[in-house]
Amino acid sequence: MRNDNKKSVTVGIFVLIGIIILVTGILTLGAQQKAFVSSIRVFSVFDDVGGLQPGNNVWFSGVKIGTVKKINFYGESQVEIEMNIESSSKEYIKKNSKATISSDGLIGNKIIVIYGGSGQGPSIEEGDRLDAEMPLDTDKMMETLQVNNNNLVSITEDLKVLTHKIASGEGIVGAVLTDSLLVQNFKQIMVNLERTAANSTRMTAELADFSRQLNQKGGLIDELLTDTTVFASLKSTVLDLEATGRQVNDVSENFKSVSENLQDSDNALGMLLNDEQFAAYLKNTMVNLDTGTVRLNETLEALRYNWLFRGSFRKMEKAKDKAE
Amino acid sequence: MSGEPTNKDKVISKRIDRFFIGLERAYDFVKRFFKEVWFPPYEFKEVIRQCYQIGYNSLPLISLTGFIVGVVFTNQSRPSLSEFGATSWLPALISIAVVRAMGPLVTALIAAGKVGSSIGAEIGSMKVTEQIDAMEVSATNPFKFLVVTRVLASTFMIPVLVLYTDFVALLGAFVNVHFNELVSLSTFFVQVFDAISFLDITSSMVKSLFFGFTIGIVGCYKGYNSTKGTEGVGKAANSAVVMAMFLIFIEELLSLQVTNFFRQL
Repeated sequence: MRNDNKKSVTVGIFVLIGIIILVTGILTLGAQQKAFVSSIRVFSVFDDVGGLQPGNNVWFSGVKIGTVKKINFYGESQVEIEMNIESSSKEYIKKNSKATISSDGLIGNKIIVIYGGSGQGPSIEEGDRLDAEMPLDTDKMMETLQVNNNNLVSITEDLKVLTHKIASGEGIVGAVLTDSLLVQNFKQIMVNLERTAANSTRMTAELADFSRQLNQKGGLIDELLTDTTVFASLKSTVLDLEATGRQVNDVSENFKSVSENLQDSDNALGMLLNDEQFAAYLKNTMVNLDTGTVRLNETLEALRYNWLFRGSFRKMEKAKDKAE
Repeated sequence: MSGEPTNKDKVISKRIDRFFIGLERAYDFVKRFFKEVWFPPYEFKEVIRQCYQIGYNSLPLISLTGFIVGVVFTNQSRPSLSEFGATSWLPALISIAVVRAMGPLVTALIAAGKVGSSIGAEIGSMKVTEQIDAMEVSATNPFKFLVVTRVLASTFMIPVLVLYTDFVALLGAFVNVHFNELVSLSTFFVQVFDAISFLDITSSMVKSLFFGFTIGIVGCYKGYNSTKGTEGVGKAANSAVVMAMFLIFIEELLSLQVTNFFRQL
């Protein structure tokens, strides 16, 4: 009898531990899958759910807040997702939030991700419908990748041609890499450049020194830049120079007028300079005058020896000698 | 109850007739069990004693097997997952495998070997030594005392053993994962429970009930119908194990289909 009781107690403990394992498992599972928390139903309509299944998780800001309850066809070819979202998180999800389909890791299960929503908007309520944002279509991604691959092939082919040309010394780059003379020239250019750079450095230093001197107190430029009296004198001088310039301009105008008059033959100097007939006449007159002068000298010489005037001439010579 | 077919009274062929006769006997046996189980006298003490024998006495073997299964399965799965850099998925993979299939299956197969053979041999030896006939003579219902108690005990103890196996196998997996991936106990069990669902636990428990019933009823049937002396006892024990294991695999296959049906709802 005692042995029977012992067996009964042992079986009881054995079964109890088994039930404890079962209940603990169920409670842990329920707590983890939010099975025993109060929740609200929220809907979203997608064109394509990409293999989403009931029981998949719903995430908001990276936190699991619920599960997918049902997946039903909607309209012509759309799919309506019914989600159970725990009530404690509904205040953080706004009515203008969006739902999209993502995956838990690179090769993980599909999940619904709720995101966005302005902070000022009202929170979601039971039966609300969230806008759906279609996830990236892997087929389209593959198409784009294929285009990229083709471009890559084209680029590598071009690169192959380019490197071949460079290796065979074609073009500037090829010449640079293969022509030793060009390399020497290039080195010389670099040396010159280095020298130029050194000169530039020195020149910059000198310019800095020069500007420092310009800024030195009491210097000409400093006076010009800072002394108001010198500025006034300069201004006055410039005004005088301007007046002088105007006068010079007048004088030059007069000279111009005189020179224009000299071009004409209706005045004495113009006729003298420009009239050829008058010149010929004047020349002839001068010839006649010369001839008349010679003849007058001859006449006067003849008069010295004339008896009538001989005495007068003798008196004049005597007076001259006397004076000497 | 029909006897062994002879050349004179065969219907199709001797072998085929024997198969169908066996099927009919099994059907009658199961029908008798469901008829007897509801009515008194209820042999509670014998049920408890059988629970002790089937459940508690199997615990060390089941625990050791479960622990080894957890460790070995984790170790064998690691290379495949590490190829994808997904060793962090080991807890999820192991929990699904253990809870959905390996826990119930390993427990049932071990129990079929240990419990099924022992039931078959025990009842078979009672049959060939005419103890069962003696019980009938002494106004004790041998079917109720021997069969109903053992079938009930195995039906209810196997699910409990499955829970132990699941727990110990996950513990073994944790030990392996902890020493290789340095995963903490809480993280491990969070990942374990994240991967399974109520449907997994429910289906595991329900099919364990079926496995337990199968082990008990097959063992009892084979023992109850054993003949030819001590040779028949050995044959009954052996065929009880073989038949129980075969039926467990069939039931596992069927349960997979049924569970998938519920999973899609």
